[in-house]
Amino acid sequence: MFSIIIKETREFIREKTNLFFFLVFPVVLVFLLGTLLGSMDQAEETVGEIKLQYIIETEDPIQRMAIEKFIETTEEEGKIFFEESNNLSVARGLASKDDITAVLVFTKDPLKIEIYEGRNHIKNRAVSALMNSFIQMNQTVMTIMNVNPEQLMDLEHIPWEENLIQKDLGVNRTMIDYYAIVMIAMISFMSIILGCYCFLGERQSKTLNRLIISPQSRVYLFLQKILGMVPQVVLQISIIMVISVFAFNANYARTFKDNLYLFFMFLMVTMALISIGVVIGLVIKKNPMVVLFPFLWIMMFLGGTFSKEVHIKGLSEFLPTYQVQQGAFDLAIFGRYHRANIIILISSIILVLSIFIGVYLFRRKEGEQ
Amino acid sequence: MAFVEIKNLTKYYGELCAVDHLNISVEEGEIFGLIGPNGAGKSTTLHVITTLTDFDKGEVIIDGLDLRKDKVKIKQLIGMVPQDIAVYDHLTALENVKFFASLYGLRGKELTKASKEALDFVGLSDRLSLKPKHMSGGMKRRLNIACGIAHGPKFIVMDEPTVGVDAQSREHILNSIQILRERGATVIYTSHYMNEVEIICNRIAIIDKGKLVASGTKHQLVSLVTDVQSVYIHAKLPMGFLAEDFMKRLRNMPDVKAVSMKDYMFRIDIIMKENGISRIVEQFIQQGISIISIKSEEPDLDTMFLTLTGHDLR
Repeated sequence: MFSIIIKETREFIREKTNLFFFLVFPVVLVFLLGTLLGSMDQAEETVGEIKLQYIIETEDPIQRMAIEKFIETTEEEGKIFFEESNNLSVARGLASKDDITAVLVFTKDPLKIEIYEGRNHIKNRAVSALMNSFIQMNQTVMTIMNVNPEQLMDLEHIPWEENLIQKDLGVNRTMIDYYAIVMIAMISFMSIILGCYCFLGERQSKTLNRLIISPQSRVYLFLQKILGMVPQVVLQISIIMVISVFAFNANYARTFKDNLYLFFMFLMVTMALISIGVVIGLVIKKNPMVVLFPFLWIMMFLGGTFSKEVHIKGLSEFLPTYQVQQGAFDLAIFGRYHRANIIILISSIILVLSIFIGVYLFRRKEGEQ
Repeated sequence: MAFVEIKNLTKYYGELCAVDHLNISVEEGEIFGLIGPNGAGKSTTLHVITTLTDFDKGEVIIDGLDLRKDKVKIKQLIGMVPQDIAVYDHLTALENVKFFASLYGLRGKELTKASKEALDFVGLSDRLSLKPKHMSGGMKRRLNIACGIAHGPKFIVMDEPTVGVDAQSREHILNSIQILRERGATVIYTSHYMNEVEIICNRIAIIDKGKLVASGTKHQLVSLVTDVQSVYIHAKLPMGFLAEDFMKRLRNMPDVKAVSMKDYMFRIDIIMKENGISRIVEQFIQQGISIISIKSEEPDLDTMFLTLTGHDLR
């Protein structure tokens, strides 16, 4: 029953090329990309202090009062500092030299906010978010004032802080975490090559005929070969996860249950890809690496496997690599199962279909001359 | 009834007729040689017999089982030793043999015992833990045989099992095949080495272009080509012996075609018959001639093949 599974596992473990490509290589990449590129390509960055200069053009006293109140409240947090300017070009010059974060201009009626951004795009995003919230609040206040001004008196008594509960994600994410996840996705996709060699390897070692001659049914042989891949996949994913966690302090999901689910998702994806590889290996007789390797690397590159900054809108999100990675991030970082469930479902369907096609092809297969 | 009965076997690859109405029968417990040039249809025939390939027409009966109907039962009987070394480089010799034997249902202690016996049989009992990549060509060949016989098959198909091996390994392999026959196995054997086929095969079939050219014992095949054999007798003649008179007497014997002598070596061409050589020897003894050595020569398989097919074997 288990003879083929044991044989496959022994061969996998003893084949140095396999060990390098499917175990050592991803682990090394997790470490190298996670540490060396970490400073350039940060997953999480402290925004730090924000220095803003502003010009108030509006002469509406209520608007001016609202702006000044907003500035005063914001400065109380001790992270964002405002300074009034009377010369826009000078202020923009300071922003361009990164002396200040940005310049804000509160225009005349209707009130709009023009933001002249500085160099730090993360700080720019923070300023943009801050001013958006101010505009929303301002419009709300103006609307209430026009409809029922007395209600504004009640707003002062609302304890805002109590309604806003800030929670972090439970772990401090680093680039190691990013690469620990995408490298598993990478070996999952690379496993399609393992699948190709499932029968191609037997053909190359001339042992395929011995298998076909044996009294085992072809369906049984095929399923055993596929099952023989499971220990390899479990080994690959486990080793990368364990080494990433214990050697490089990487974080996957917060809970053990989510980590198991993440493991299961990758297992299903890998098995689906292996089954596709097996079908390819039954059909083609040439070396599949020549075609598959460049294809996989391009797909992984565009899917953000090597850097999250690589994203081509309208293309990347349609790539399986991208979707699997996003599913893993959703699950690991946010504890969301939806995308992972879809990926598991699609992988299961692909696995079943590929097994049916593979069995059909293998049953029809004649011995090698 | 023959152990293997092939009747009108026909196999096409597209338009090409690889095997054309082939008829062969192999008796139980014999080593049957199948010879022919490359592309003659040997491998296709072996592929059909070993269930690797379907066939278009004809009938194949093995041990009373119809290949079309009882494929699984027939598979259980067969042991295959392919021309290519078909073993896993990353498994040890014992692991390789155990794996292939396990495909035939052997388990546990029985599996280990059978595998070790097979390796012992081919002379690799001291190489159980050695991986094929560290073995010599001859050792790999012997491992290849062990993988094919560990499950104790009644019927063994050997496709050029001695290709590329040294003389010592070849002798070991040929001895092993003869021992397998003594143990009751029926063997179909192909080889390009005619001397091997002559030595170990009870009967031989010559096929060419998918068709059977001739089959039978070596003696029967030779008789198809010629009925004359040459007998060489190295003799010590008594003092004053008249050799010419003696040679004349020999020439007058029935079935003797020609007689000549050079350096006390007589060459006598006679029609191949039972006791033909004995009657010649009697003449020598009657004349008081001491015989130092006798050698008889009949056409070898290469010559026969050339005569029967019109071209060389290779």
